[in-house]
Amino acid sequence: MTDTLSYPDVTQWAVPFFILAILGEFAWIAIKGRGGRYETRDAVTSLIMGAGSVASGIVLGFLAWGFFTWLWALTPLDLGTSLAAIIICFVLDDLRYYWVHRFGHRIRWVWASHVNHHSSQHYNLTTALRQTWTGTFSLVMLIRAPLVLIGFHPALVLFVSGINLIYQFWIHTEAIGKMPRWFEAVMNTPSHHRVHHGRNARYLDCNYAGVFIIWDKMFGTFVPEQDSEAVDYGLVHNLGSFNPLRVAFHEWAGIWKDASQSGLTLRQRLAYMVAPPGYSHDGSRDTSQSLKEKHLARHPEDAGTPGFN
Amino acid sequence: MPLEILLALVIGGIGVITLLLHMTGRSERTNLSDDTAGLAWLRQFPEDDIHQVLISQDRHAALLRTSQGMGLVWAFGADTVARPLADCSLKETAAGLQVSFYEFAAPATRLTLTETERTDWRLLMKPA
Repeated sequence: MTDTLSYPDVTQWAVPFFILAILGEFAWIAIKGRGGRYETRDAVTSLIMGAGSVASGIVLGFLAWGFFTWLWALTPLDLGTSLAAIIICFVLDDLRYYWVHRFGHRIRWVWASHVNHHSSQHYNLTTALRQTWTGTFSLVMLIRAPLVLIGFHPALVLFVSGINLIYQFWIHTEAIGKMPRWFEAVMNTPSHHRVHHGRNARYLDCNYAGVFIIWDKMFGTFVPEQDSEAVDYGLVHNLGSFNPLRVAFHEWAGIWKDASQSGLTLRQRLAYMVAPPGYSHDGSRDTSQSLKEKHLARHPEDAGTPGFN
Repeated sequence: MPLEILLALVIGGIGVITLLLHMTGRSERTNLSDDTAGLAWLRQFPEDDIHQVLISQDRHAALLRTSQGMGLVWAFGADTVARPLADCSLKETAAGLQVSFYEFAAPATRLTLTETERTDWRLLMKPA
C-alpha cells in the first residue's frame, strides 16, 4: 500500500496564473468595451474571499486530511498512482463534485458555506476566487470518503480536486461566448456556468457540473444559456455589504437566527438547517421551486421552456 | 509553495488589481433614474407594483412607494440593493441619513441627502 505520497498543492501554484489571467481579462474588457464588468469593491471582496479560503485550508485542512488518512488506513484497497488511476480518480472526483455542488444548493447547511461564491452581482474571473471560508463546517468532505475507501490515496484525491478547482477558474467569464459545439456538449464552459450563476427564476438550481457538463445532462439538471434571457448575476436577495466577514458568515448567521426563534418545533428548527434555501415554517419565504412557480404564474408562456420543465 | 512567497503574491496581486480598477474609474457608484430605480426594485420584488419613485439629488438612492409599502433602492458599487423599509431604524448623520436594517447581510446604508431631502425622506420612510 502506498503510504507516503505527495503531490504539489496546485491551487497555490496557480495563484500567479490567476493574477495574470484577471489582469488579462480586465485589459480585454477595457480595450474591447464588452465581455464583462469589473467593480473595485466587488473584485477586492472576491479576492479577499479567495485569500481567506486558502488560509482556512491551511489552518483547518488538517481535519480533512486526518479523516482521509484514517480512512486510508482502514481500506485494504490501493489503486496506485498510474496515469489511468489518476484519470479515473479525476472523473469520479468530478462526479463527487457534481453531487456536493448540488447538495450545496439544496441543503441550507451546505448552502451556508457555498452561498458566498454566488454573492457577487458581477461575473468575471475574480468571482471564481470568491470561495468559502467555512467548507470544513459544511462536512461535505464526507462525500470524498468513497474515493479513498475504494483505493485512491488521499493525496491523489486532493490533487485531482485541486485540478478540478483550477479548471473552473476560466469558466467564470463573460469574455468568452460559446466554445465549439463538441466542447459545449461534454465540458463545463463559460456559457453553462454563467447560467449556474443566474438569479433569474429560469436559471435557479441547474448546471452543477465542475468539469464535465455530462453529469447535469445525465441527472436532468442541465439548462442551456438562452439568447433571449440574459443572465442576472447574484443572489435572489442580494447582499448589502462588501465586508468579507459578512459575506463569509451571513447565511450561518441566518440559520442561527431562524432556528433559534421561539415557538418552533424541533422539526422546524432542523428544517431551517437542512431544508432547501428559502424554507420557512410559515411559508413566508420563497424557495427556488416557488420562485419558478410564481414566475410561471406571471409568464405562463415560459412553461415547458428550458429551466421550467 | 513557500508561505512567504504565497503571501507576497496574494498581497501584491490584490494591491495591483485594486489600484488598477480604482485608477480606471471602476470605483464609481451607479447613478439612479426613475426607470433604473424601478427596475432595480422589480429585480428584487417582481410581484410588486410601483406607485412612486423619488430619486435623491446625488442620484445614489431612491425612495419608492410600492404595493408592499415604502422601499429603498441604493447604489451598491456599480450595482443596486433594494430593501423594504417596514423594519428599519433611521439616524441623522452630517451628510443625510443612516438607514439600519436588522439584517446581518445588509446591516445599514448611509444616504447623502440635502437638508430638505432629509426632512422629507424621514417623514416618508417613517410616517409618524
